[in-house]
Amino acid sequence: MKKVSTILLMVLLLSSMVFAAGTKEAASTGPQVLKVMLSEEPSSEDALLNTMKQWAAETGNILDVMVIPYEDQLTKFPLMARNNDLPDLLTTTRLSRLYPDEFLDMTEYFDMSIFEKMAVEIIVQDYKSSKKPILPQQFTITNVYYNKDAFARAGLTAPTVEKPWTFEELEKNAILLKEKGGVKYGMAMDASRARYDNLMYAHGGSMVEKDGASFNVTINSPQNIATLQKFIDWNNKFMPKAIWAGGTTDNPADYFKNGDVGIYFSGSWNYNSFYNQIKNFKWGVMPSPVGKSASAILGGSGLGVPAKAKNKDVAISFLKWFYTKENFQQYLNRDKGLSSLVGVTYSPSDAQVAEDYKVLQSEVGKVTYAFSVDESSMWRNYYDNEYRDAMKQAVNGDLTAAKALNDFAALLSKKSGWGLKY
Amino acid sequence: MKTRYVKRHVRAFWLFVAPCLLLFSTFFLIPLGLSVGFSFTNYDGWKVMNFIGLANYKELFADTKFYQSLGRTFAYTLFSLPFKVIIPLLIASLVTSKRVKIKALARTLTYIPSLLSALVVGITINWMFSAEYGLVNYVIQVLGGTPLQWALNPKLATFVISFASNWASTGFYMVIFIGGLNNIPQEMYEAAAIDGSTTMQTFLRITIPMLAPTTFLVTLLSTVNLLKEYALVQGITQGGPGLNTTFIIQFIFDKGFNQMQYGYASAISLVVMVVFAFIAFVQFKFSNGGDR
Repeated sequence: MKKVSTILLMVLLLSSMVFAAGTKEAASTGPQVLKVMLSEEPSSEDALLNTMKQWAAETGNILDVMVIPYEDQLTKFPLMARNNDLPDLLTTTRLSRLYPDEFLDMTEYFDMSIFEKMAVEIIVQDYKSSKKPILPQQFTITNVYYNKDAFARAGLTAPTVEKPWTFEELEKNAILLKEKGGVKYGMAMDASRARYDNLMYAHGGSMVEKDGASFNVTINSPQNIATLQKFIDWNNKFMPKAIWAGGTTDNPADYFKNGDVGIYFSGSWNYNSFYNQIKNFKWGVMPSPVGKSASAILGGSGLGVPAKAKNKDVAISFLKWFYTKENFQQYLNRDKGLSSLVGVTYSPSDAQVAEDYKVLQSEVGKVTYAFSVDESSMWRNYYDNEYRDAMKQAVNGDLTAAKALNDFAALLSKKSGWGLKY
Repeated sequence: MKTRYVKRHVRAFWLFVAPCLLLFSTFFLIPLGLSVGFSFTNYDGWKVMNFIGLANYKELFADTKFYQSLGRTFAYTLFSLPFKVIIPLLIASLVTSKRVKIKALARTLTYIPSLLSALVVGITINWMFSAEYGLVNYVIQVLGGTPLQWALNPKLATFVISFASNWASTGFYMVIFIGGLNNIPQEMYEAAAIDGSTTMQTFLRITIPMLAPTTFLVTLLSTVNLLKEYALVQGITQGGPGLNTTFIIQFIFDKGFNQMQYGYASAISLVVMVVFAFIAFVQFKFSNGGDR
């Protein structure tokens, strides 16, 4: 009886092993699921999602898309990691910087020289090791949009790449647009720290400065306080103050799309949606104004594969497909943005888009050294929200510009251990 | 025999208690224990967790933003609480009155906002009170008035949140008051009518006193919910203008989930829990637990 039981048990074990192998074989040959985490709800024209769909159609694999906004990713990603429920592929701007150990090192799969050097430096933001946890996907730059019809009504001519406006001209013309351009606001700016930081850099300021291997906090420098004061005045004169004072969930992009704004400081990521959605007035891209220097901020999002993802091989195979010149070119044509892949550029057939694209490309050269130093300090890992709160209070008039920046500088210094220069 | 009887009783007791105890432990006792533990650490929500003693509490008691947000929370609660209690009481009185018609429809319409998620309430309120494209400002302009700065004036911004909160909860508290009103013996009203009591006298001297336990319940629930207001704030003002509508729960959320200072956020949560419990205790004492 014992022998029979032993034989039966062995047969059972062998058959289960064969069955398991068969299942594995079947799984690797059949359609596979790529679980993707996006950071915002994609529109029907979304370039990345449509390119992914193209990949799924070509390979027969299945796309499983979930959307977790940027701000929620910070809380959801650690939870997903702890529960072993990570996506196979994700778009991110910050997670790889906060948790580089949780991502595959892309240098093991890709020759990084195929990417634009600046895109890798800015998007991957790898300042502490040679590991590249993400690959650049959307390469963006801050830029200025303008309402052509409002300019015409106010008798204004847009600045050119060769002759950009000064900040004094910007202020004067924003007031003129409000008075004669038929717009409610002469100017608007995304409620984003990065958009304001362009003013700071263009006026000669910075968040920190190098001090050997460490940094000193310089956010409360006299020129930074003067810049913030100027920004507060602008908000009181010709900008939708509620956007920067907080107190509303409104998006100034909607104000611009509705024709209520003359000059709009935003970024290249909005170009495609403006192109598809603004039909009732003419608009364009103008070069950003110049102070002590010009300033633009490069940014963007990357594609990363969590090291503990279930189908990381599928994710890698998608990335290999995505970063071929042919497929990336198709993606870029859909995105109408800057290219992060060497040798691939977007060549618009529409004359107006081509003209705007030239202005966008010219902004890339305005990225300042101060911005690079600030980014390398990774100060945002400390008190990003506190900085935003300080700005909100200053614009709302609850704090003076000096108090807001002095208090924030003290907080940043305490948290980071860096010295205070001012 | 008696021992077996007692044992069966004890077993039955635990069987009845077990489901509740399980849920209470899972969703309150265990998180509370974890929170107490985290408050003595620099836990970042994932990888860093070192014991730092009372450092979080020392930082908290020196943090002016903590006191400011707690102060704002109290001011908001005190401002909103009367409306939370009085409006549902008046509506409940109306929809239980014999003189009012289409009561079922009125009750249903009043209750519908209670079914909406805070997100939907936020979107609806934004649609009404948006400074740029809001319905209320549009109506004001059509009538020849000047649009109001809902998003820039701290008092107006607080009013909008309070309005939204009241709108969303009135139906729920109305149902509680209807239950209380229906439990008042009709003989009392009949006796009052025979004695020549006016409607107002009857309301003030019979209805209000007889509703004391219900009013206490509504007051307690409203107070706790107002002190914990978060989703509406996030959906309507995001704590602005400036930090003028940043209440204590939003402050905790920001520290914990945006700045990843879970340890510090846990310390704030525990202190706030003690403060809130004290407020509830005072309410119990003052109203004698709602006893008439």
